[in-house]
Amino acid sequence: MLHKRIWQFLLIYILGLGFLFGLKYLLGLSDYVIPGPMEIYQTARYNSGRYLVDTANTLSVAFVGHLLAILLASLISIIGRLPNLAGAMIKTAAYNLQAYPIVAVAPIIFILLGDGLTSRLLIAAMICYFPLLLSFIGILTTPVPDIEHFYITTKRMRWQLEVKIRAFENITKLTTVIAGSATLAMVGTIIAEFIGADAGIGYSLRISLYQSDIGKVLVALFFIGIFNSLYLATLEGVGYFIQKKLGISREG
Amino acid sequence: MKYQKIFILATLLTLCVCFFLAGCGKKKEQAAEVLNYRLKWLFNISVAGDLYADDQGIFESHGLSVAVKSGGPERDAIKELEIGRAQFGVASADQVVRAIDKGAPIVVIAQLFQVNPLQWIFRQNNLAIDSPEDLKNKTIGITYGGNDETIMRALLNKQGSLADKVKLFSVRYDYSPFFTGEVDLWPVYRNAEGIVMAEKLHRQGEAAGFFNPDAFGVRFVANSVITTRRMISEHPETVQKFLEALLQGWQEALDPRNAKQTIDMVSRYDKETSRQIIAKQLDSTRNLMLPPAGKSFGWIDVASWTETERIMLDQKLISSPVGIEKNLQQITFDSSQ
Repeated sequence: MLHKRIWQFLLIYILGLGFLFGLKYLLGLSDYVIPGPMEIYQTARYNSGRYLVDTANTLSVAFVGHLLAILLASLISIIGRLPNLAGAMIKTAAYNLQAYPIVAVAPIIFILLGDGLTSRLLIAAMICYFPLLLSFIGILTTPVPDIEHFYITTKRMRWQLEVKIRAFENITKLTTVIAGSATLAMVGTIIAEFIGADAGIGYSLRISLYQSDIGKVLVALFFIGIFNSLYLATLEGVGYFIQKKLGISREG
Repeated sequence: MKYQKIFILATLLTLCVCFFLAGCGKKKEQAAEVLNYRLKWLFNISVAGDLYADDQGIFESHGLSVAVKSGGPERDAIKELEIGRAQFGVASADQVVRAIDKGAPIVVIAQLFQVNPLQWIFRQNNLAIDSPEDLKNKTIGITYGGNDETIMRALLNKQGSLADKVKLFSVRYDYSPFFTGEVDLWPVYRNAEGIVMAEKLHRQGEAAGFFNPDAFGVRFVANSVITTRRMISEHPETVQKFLEALLQGWQEALDPRNAKQTIDMVSRYDKETSRQIIAKQLDSTRNLMLPPAGKSFGWIDVASWTETERIMLDQKLISSPVGIEKNLQQITFDSSQ
């Protein structure tokens, strides 16, 4: 799974670079607009070490932010699944919060919480929690009549049991959406770093853009892609392991 | 079946309306032979002359149809010139030097700011900063990767060991580190947010001072008008007319006799800033832009450009000398016309 993800990314990256080089030579553009292969090689040589550390830093924040988002989405969807006023209120608040573009909210977060780790975590979590929330609410509000009927008629149904049944019955969907939202966690962290933080690959990207250095941007994108593929493959592996442990086939 | 057809028609109609509405704002670009002029920043006082030339029909009177387009942090006029999306643009000197270092075929045809507006604001009630030596033990805000970092490092290097005696602070969106006193000097565009921040301090009963590295020998050029070599060789008359109209626009916009007109116009584009502030910004912009006696508006200060290149070379922002003077082309006009 891991090597498949890496190969997929490398293929896309190489195709992307090839397209840019094609454009560069076709239109006769200078290295300022699109850097040549030698320039990218030199940039990679001088900056790889630093970018590797920066991207690892970003991934660590994305990982914690992703965990936060999973917890937040679980909590909200457990309350939001209730067919009462509290459930409706929680759902409305969660949807409204998502309606604000993060680039508009982020500067306020940075002013309130500073440009350190907390702000990056919060923004990463905010960006990736919504798709999680939508799926979690969808899963937890949909009854599994065949199983739930027994517990309801025997008056043994509790909310914890209801959540467990619905989660177990949709474990494949849950693991897929969690793995899918990992990319958003990474994107969220990079956006946070780009806007206001003073560490991570997003911050380095911002400096490269200040200096109009597309070579550095391309090298940074390479590391982001590799780390993202690693994270995605790890999550998919964990999901596969959980399903196997629970005795669920990959087809669900 | 009937409802299905109505649904398809309604969908197509909605799509057409969406495409029409989305295209409305681009009407001007679609006109034939429109010259695109990409600015460096958003519409504010720093582009007053560019807007004035458009607003007062000066471009039209020179037989030109020009679309003045706002810039911003993610816009790069040099790239747009190379790709062919714009014919003229405004870029900072560091952008120009970097681009030439990487083979971009661009030429500077006018220098807008004669003094770099990028300066550092400080509280005059608490600090007296009359020379670089006074920066000792101070916390100075810089944007890492920005040209304010380059300018401040050039100044600190020039002063020998001063670099070890100051604390640098990474500047972002939030101005509160300056207002709370955490940072002593904060980088601002003297004629734009410098005025706004000075006004804020004034309301708190404090006076603002500005530290200008240019006054201590760091001559780092700011915004200039650029075009491509191809444009100059293939359409020299258009370049001549464009520059003549643009510089006329700037001169008229900065002329104190037209102040009301300029303030009215900038207010229309920059709705976030009050007229009183714009009036002060206009005075400040005039001081930074007017050329020395005997020189015409838009004069290219070759010595300052050479100095800018040297600073960038010293700080390893470019790999080798680019010979910037070969890319500066002062275009002169026949004053009798």
